[in-house]
Amino acid sequence: MMKLLSLKRPVNMLVLANILAFGLLYYYKKPYDKMVLIEGLIVTGLICLSYFFIIKKNMGDGYLFLVVSMLSSLGVLMIYRLDQDRGFKQILWLVIGIGLFFMSYYLYGKVKIKDKLMFYYYAASIFLFMTTLVIGSSINGSRNWILIGGYSFQPSEIIKILFVLTIACYFKNSEQIIFNSKSVNLKWKLDNTKIISKIAFFLMVYSYIGFLVMQREWGTALLLFLIFFMVLYVFDNDIKLLLLNGAIAAIGGIGGYFFVHHIKIRVQMWLDPWADIAGKGYQITQSMFAISAGGFFGRGIGLGDPYLIPEVKTDFIFSAICEEMGVFGGIAVILLYFLLVYRGFKIALYIKDLFKKTVALGITLMFGFQTFIIIGGVIKLIPLTGITLPFISYGGSSLVSGFIALGILQALSKECYSGEEDVSDAEEQ
Amino acid sequence: MFEILSSLLKYLFVTVIYLFIYGVIRLIYLDIKSASGQKFEIKKNIPYLKLINIREQFDFKVEEIYMLGKDVDMGRSAKNKIIIRDPYMSTKHARFTYKDGKYFIEDLGSTNGTFINGRDVKGTAMPLKDGDKIRVGQVDFLFVHGG
Repeated sequence: MMKLLSLKRPVNMLVLANILAFGLLYYYKKPYDKMVLIEGLIVTGLICLSYFFIIKKNMGDGYLFLVVSMLSSLGVLMIYRLDQDRGFKQILWLVIGIGLFFMSYYLYGKVKIKDKLMFYYYAASIFLFMTTLVIGSSINGSRNWILIGGYSFQPSEIIKILFVLTIACYFKNSEQIIFNSKSVNLKWKLDNTKIISKIAFFLMVYSYIGFLVMQREWGTALLLFLIFFMVLYVFDNDIKLLLLNGAIAAIGGIGGYFFVHHIKIRVQMWLDPWADIAGKGYQITQSMFAISAGGFFGRGIGLGDPYLIPEVKTDFIFSAICEEMGVFGGIAVILLYFLLVYRGFKIALYIKDLFKKTVALGITLMFGFQTFIIIGGVIKLIPLTGITLPFISYGGSSLVSGFIALGILQALSKECYSGEEDVSDAEEQ
Repeated sequence: MFEILSSLLKYLFVTVIYLFIYGVIRLIYLDIKSASGQKFEIKKNIPYLKLINIREQFDFKVEEIYMLGKDVDMGRSAKNKIIIRDPYMSTKHARFTYKDGKYFIEDLGSTNGTFINGRDVKGTAMPLKDGDKIRVGQVDFLFVHGG
């Protein structure tokens, strides 16, 4: 029995963290809200159940879900502390997300022809783009939201996943390009030449990015470009292509700086926010103040002043975490993302099939780069972009798309773990 | 009330998160350590032990296939090449050796004994041929030697 309760089992630590978090939230505001305890019980119970389900049914890598649930619990804690309503919604989205996680895991196993559907993915993305252009609404400067009923939904989150699948379809076929020098027969009426198929592919990728730029979603555009660039680097031997794409990006970046006012401001505020503390630099300076106010262990949950930071529930949630849980808390969050990306890479390395390998790689890069972009922006490492911190930021679409992507990654990890690595048994050493 | 709780809890909370991270890293490390010895493809002429029982009936971890090399020890202790945490197995239970083109099994003084096709091995090294059934503790293996 003691082994079951041992401190070394991460599941126990997760449960303990949840108990502490929800217990604390219970006492947070008078009158003491019993709903918090009930919600906490539901969340913790659901996470534990899902984790044991994954382990017992040998559904692949157990660590992915573990790390992600820790992150999600932290997210729920912070958001509930910031805003009770949003906190409750986040819990709702978490439950839906876990359900979708299992669903996407099973569906991914069922659909056999995923790698031939390249143009369908592309068409779906174009469809989403078009709907956003037509009936989308602008929130905070980016025209990236669709409002249905009372719920807002960000199609770019789904487009990220479709993008990864599209790239993977292409690179599955590129095996023939690299190894056989045979031409790839695209279904369009294009010539059967290597170069033209590559150009068509690049046009496809840049059309994605172009649409996002049109919607003023700089963060996601940057993210997709980085994913594409990395996958190109991994799979293609031709350095000229890399340089070409890098040059295009550089031109795009510089052009953006000069021609787009918004980007210019962001870069200026990155270089020197102190010049305009009260105005344009307010966001980033408040974020820096908050992080430094946290010290090592933080000011304590509920005892900080995160409301001084604008957008604290979405983009700047990391600053709020640093303020209330200290630099150690912030580093812990970063370490958790490291673990997630590490497992993702390990899975991608192990898989033999090129399509699956690329999908795994793409999803891992998606999580990794997204985290890097937003945390980097928030600590003034790189200019700020409006992108969400996966699993922690408030946002139904962000959480849901994160879990769907995780479900796909989990399905891919099943190949690496055909029942041989038993997480709970490795502890008995 | 809340302020005191929160200020005290912040240390505990951070510690819990780090213990979690430590736990995950430790498990990953253990998995890598135990998995790196096991993943062989079955090569011709190299004999292996094939599990006869149903794997799920045991609550300890046991593999379906164990490849045999030159000198392979089997037992509960982590010092063995083949580690099976069967309560009915001894720390160092049996040893498989290779000599003059044949494989032998000897019992290393185990409490419950080692049996080949029902007969107790008891001390001396017994030769193994393809199709022999080996019993150690609760586990039954089939000795497969393709060559």
